[in-house]
Order: sequence, then structure tokens, then C-alpha cells
Amino acid sequence: MRSFHPGASKAPMKFRMPTAENFVPIRLDLDIDGQRFKDAFTWNPNDPDSEVNNFAKRTVKDLKLPPTFVTQIAQSIQTQLAEFHSYEGQEMHIKEKIVPLKIDLRVNNTVIRDQFLWDISNLESDPEEFARTFCKDLDIGDPEVGPAIAVSIREQLYEIATQSISSARETRVGKKGRRGADIVANSFVFCSKAGNTVDLGKLFGSKGSVIRKRKEWYLYEPIVDILSNEEVGALDAREELNARLKRKLDEKEESFQTRYSHG
Amino acid sequence: MASSSPPPAQAPVLSPPNPPRPQQLPQPLPVAAVKSEVPVAEPRDPPASVSSIPLEPSPAAVAASYTITIPSCSGWFSWDQIHDTERRVLSEFFDGKSASKNPGVYKYYRDSIIRRFRGNPSRKITFTDARRGLVGDVGSIRRVFDFLEEWGLINYTPLAKPSAKKGEMGDDSEKKETPRRICSHCKSSCNMACFTTDKADIILCARCFVRGDYRPGLSSTDFKRVDITEETKADWTDKETIHLLEAILQYGDDWKKVAEHVGTKSEIDCVARFIKLPFGEQFLGPEEVGEYGKPHQKNDKVVTVPEGENVPEQSLSKRMRLTPLADASNPIMAQVAFLSAMVGSDVAKAVAQAAISSLHKVDIAGGISASDDRLQSAASNGAKEEEAVAASNGQTSSDVLNEAVAEAQSQLKKEEQDVEQYLSDVVQVQMKEIQDKIVHFEELELLLEKERLQLRHMKDLLFADQLAIMQHKMQLLSKGNEKGEKVKQTNHVP
Repeated sequence: MRSFHPGASKAPMKFRMPTAENFVPIRLDLDIDGQRFKDAFTWNPNDPDSEVNNFAKRTVKDLKLPPTFVTQIAQSIQTQLAEFHSYEGQEMHIKEKIVPLKIDLRVNNTVIRDQFLWDISNLESDPEEFARTFCKDLDIGDPEVGPAIAVSIREQLYEIATQSISSARETRVGKKGRRGADIVANSFVFCSKAGNTVDLGKLFGSKGSVIRKRKEWYLYEPIVDILSNEEVGALDAREELNARLKRKLDEKEESFQTRYSHG
Repeated sequence: MASSSPPPAQAPVLSPPNPPRPQQLPQPLPVAAVKSEVPVAEPRDPPASVSSIPLEPSPAAVAASYTITIPSCSGWFSWDQIHDTERRVLSEFFDGKSASKNPGVYKYYRDSIIRRFRGNPSRKITFTDARRGLVGDVGSIRRVFDFLEEWGLINYTPLAKPSAKKGEMGDDSEKKETPRRICSHCKSSCNMACFTTDKADIILCARCFVRGDYRPGLSSTDFKRVDITEETKADWTDKETIHLLEAILQYGDDWKKVAEHVGTKSEIDCVARFIKLPFGEQFLGPEEVGEYGKPHQKNDKVVTVPEGENVPEQSLSKRMRLTPLADASNPIMAQVAFLSAMVGSDVAKAVAQAAISSLHKVDIAGGISASDDRLQSAASNGAKEEEAVAASNGQTSSDVLNEAVAEAQSQLKKEEQDVEQYLSDVVQVQMKEIQDKIVHFEELELLLEKERLQLRHMKDLLFADQLAIMQHKMQLLSKGNEKGEKVKQTNHVP
């Protein structure tokens, strides 16, 4: 347990994920020849580059996708990893912050909504451990929920970490196509922006109590719902539609930008 | 039966959800590459502390009686422990370099993947399946998955020949006892029935027989019909074995009659089976060997035979391979080759020498010298023979039956012991469950205790507050009284 220095601003440190393991959340959303492939998982950036290709090949083989996916998957992973590595040389300032994280996912038939507080400055935090205990405690049957939760947490932490980079201001504009509001069929993530931090002094001071007020309990209680297959089908269809519309909009906007952004 | 028939997967061994190191079945088969486990009641108990993350909510009734086989090189695997092999190969989890890569996490990956595979063992589990259901970084999951697959703990089917895996026993050199009848004429395998003739050792499938393409010199009457549909089962059932033994008792060495008595097995099969029966050490000596009708033998040969006794005794456990000459069309050669293979090279040589010497004493025409040569070549063949043999032929038939009975009894005992073992394993698992429950309850108690203390503390505080209030009230009251009195006094004064 690190000692608690109220109000001490942390010395800047090299960019890394504020978790015990410096893993990167990778999200894939590819559409080739009308076939859609979505996936999300955690990647160890220290793995050699050959892993990326092997992983892509293996995934395509296991899921019996057309072989054109191999290069696309590998490229997408490489791009995200490269982005991560590009942040690595820079410095970030992590303040003593406790931020609320939100989970709002649908994985196959299970819907999870939850909200909890996370200590950004705790570099030993473990989203995987959290996801595992979450699934165990709530007796979640579908094993795919765990990884989805872990990835979601990591993405939010990644977002927060990148925002705390000193030179992050300029790059934020270009982050359009990355994650943020990207709607993916099997999970639907609301990122909490870095506002809304909780004042530690007030909470842990003499007048406060660690015990949450009863009237706030419902806010922080996790909700797990199992949907029927029809509801799942309906939601899937709606999300597909949204995604398609969004893509069309993006394309239009891009063409607009390129046309008029000569200056 | 278990010790004599060589199926590729041996009899399923019952084991509880936490099987201890599965025992090797004590068989000297060259196969010995697989071992079976039956996952009894693996997802059955919800309160089981064994499973950390429950699988998809498939009905617990899936835990039926199928068998899972793993190669014997992975016999060290156990649900409760992490073996050195695992520590060595997947050292990243055990070197303590990273906090979240610890043995607990490794065990979680390993157990989840294996459970997932065993939930549906007929289907190979892919890496993508596995990693989608596991929380963690895909690189480590991939390494664990590859490790498990390589060691056959998942996606292992015993029929698949492993190509180049480390540590795995050599090829499955199963002995096929099934007489696959290939028609000598059209070279296709006969399935329904085949026709065989003793005159020329030809097998014809039904089609060729009907067509009539025999060799000249054979007619349709020479052929005997043999039904294959029964015969393709190479496994000797108990019934057949008993028939065999009875027939031997009755007919001695007339293998034709023995085969007839057994019914569904050919002569050669009967002989082969008889030899393979694991009979006892005794090997009644010389008279039995003499029985087998070596046409030219005399009793002076008898002396040399006892030397051969030791050889068969040593090699009881090995199986005999029929010599290549056994199928020779010449019945005498077949007998000679067969016997010489059975009694061992030294004995065969001695016997052949003796036979030759006795032959020489009888001055028959040049034909004998021809048979001399043949006998000599038989002797040399016998000398080249490397396998010695279980000396079942030397025994009398009654001994044979006794041995069979003794063997059956010993197997029965073994079965009983096995059953006891499994029962004790099951009991152990139950105890473990209870123990875990106890621990859990103790923790709960501890929590409750703490809460109670907290509550008491709060009560104390409350009490203190109440006291404070009371005091305050008293003070106020007394003050009020004073004031009241003062007022009264002042009222009185005027």
C-alpha cells in the first residue's frame, strides 16, 4: 500500500497503462466484402511482432474467415499497437484521482451495467482481476463476459491515461476514428471523461465516512440482465443499422475534410 | 479380459472430479500410449469450490459416462497441483516478475481451457474459443493453450497418430487380430463372406467365387464358405475362449477340430489365441512337446527339451509373433515353423539337430535329405527367431483351465480393489468440499463478528450520546429550576 499524500501532485512519469500489467486493449471492427468481424481483447505490447501475424492467422483459421482478413486484422492490431507505442516516450501526469468507471455492455445474451470508482494513481490495479471476480461473484454463466469487461475497463483507463499526457491536447482532435463513441455490436461502452473525479479529501476526512450513503447504493449496484434471443436479434439489427449509418456519415465527413482542408 | 485384448484405449478408469495421478495399467503392451479418465460429475455441483468460473449454463446432465483420453506422457496432470513440467515450460507465471502473472492465474487458464474442452470432447477447442472466454492478455493465453495442446491435455484423440511430439511414446503399433480377408484374386477386402480352400490357401470373395476364376485344379467343392460378418470381430469373447479351451481339452492338437468347435475363428486364430492366453509358469515338459506329432521324432530328443524350459519361463509376458512360415501351404513346414518359434531358438535348434540325427539313422531315399535340408533351414529360422514364447503348449489342458480360473479370480480381485480405490477417492472429494465450506463459513463468521463489534461500538457511542443528552437536559432543568426559584423569590419579595 502506498502512503497517501493528500494534494501531492505526482511527478511526471513515462506513459504507461496505470495498471499492474502494461497491456493494451485492442478492438477490431472490420468489414470486408460484406462480412463483418468484431472482436476485442487484451494485448501485451511486449510480445514480439511475429505474434501479431500468428494471432491473425490463427483467428482467421479458427473462425473460418476468408483469408483476406489475415492482413487486415494484422494491420489493425499493428496500428493500434503503434499508437500505443507512440505515447510511450512521452510523459504523463497522473494526479491522485479517483474516477468513476462505467460498464455498459451487451455480450451475447448478457447485459451488464455497472459503475464503480477506480483509483487512477494505483499502478498495481488489475482490471483482469476485477473482471474475474465480477463474473464469479455475480455468477455469470457466459465466459465471454469477463474479457469484455476487462477490455472495457482498460479502454477507459487508456483514455484517461492518454488525456493526462502533457502533449495530448493536439492529438485529441485526430482521435476521431479510434474508440470513444465507436459502436460495436457486442459491446457498447460509455467512456467517462476525466471530469467527475471524486474529491478524496472530502471523502476520507474526519467528517466523511467510507460507507456509502444508503440512498446512493442503487447508483453503484451492478445490474446483470439476461436477454432472450429475440431481443438480442433486435438489438443486433439496430446496432448494425447504426453502424452502417455512422460509417456513411464518416465517409462523407472525411471527403468533406479532405476537400476543404488544404490550408 | 483386460490383459489379453489390446484395444487402443484401455478400459475407462473411473475417477472423481479431482483425479489423483491416474495409475498406469500394468500392461506391457507396446501401445500403452493412452490412458482414460472419466470426468464424473464435473459440472454437477454448484457449491463445488473446485470450479472457479462456471461454464456456460449447460445442463449438468452432460456429465455422462464418456471417456477422455490423454497420453501417458501427460500422466502428471492433476487438477489440484501444478507440475514441474508446467512450471518449466510456462515459467512466465512462476518467476514472480509480474504481479498479475501468478500461479493462480495460470491455474485458472489451464483449468478453464481443459474444462471447456472436456465439456464437449468430440469437438476440438480452438484457441479463439479459449481466449474469448478467458480474462487476460491473449499472448499468455495462447502460450498456455499451445502447451496444453502439445501435451495432449486438450484436443487429443487417441486414434490420431502424433507426428513429432516430444515425450510421447512411439508409434501405436497395435496388433490387429482381425483377419482382414483380402481376396487373392481381385485384391479387394471381403466383407460379407469369403471362400477359402485348404488346398491352396486362397481366399476368394463371394464375387470371385461365383465367377469361377479359380486356379486350375480347384473346383467349387474345394471351397469352404467362411462368414466374415462374425469373424471380423477380432476380440475373443469369453464364450469363444471357453470353447477354445474345451476344444483343446477334447481334441488336443487337432486344430481343425478345435477351430470347428469354436466356430467363428479359424485354425490359425485359435492357435494364436491359445498361445497368447496368459497362462502360468508351468510348462509341463517334454511329453507335451512330443505330442505335437513331429513325424520323425524319437524319444532321445526328450532330453534336450528341458533346457528350453527356462527360456519360456522368462518370457511369459511377451507375446509371440507367428513366424512367417506359419502360413506356408506346406502343413508340415507350418507345424515345424510354429513349434520352433514357440519353444525358442535354442530348443528348436537342439530339436532339429536331434531330429536330423535320428533321421540319418533311418536310411531312406534322397527325399529324406531334402527334408533334412528343410529341417535345417527350419532350425536356422528358429535360431534367427528372437522372440521366445509363453510355453502354453507344454501344459496339459487341465492346467490350462486351472490357470484360466486363477487368472479370472485375480482379475476379480483387482476390480474390487479398483472399485474400493475409486470409492475412497470420491469420499475424499466430498470431504474436501465440506472442508472448503467450513472455511467459507468461518470467514463469514469472522465478518459477522466484526460487524457485531462495530455495532456494539456504535451502541456505546449512542449510549454516550444519550447520557450526554440526559446530562444536558438535567443541567437545563436545574438551571430552569433555579431561574424559576429566583423568579418566585423575586415575586415574593415585593
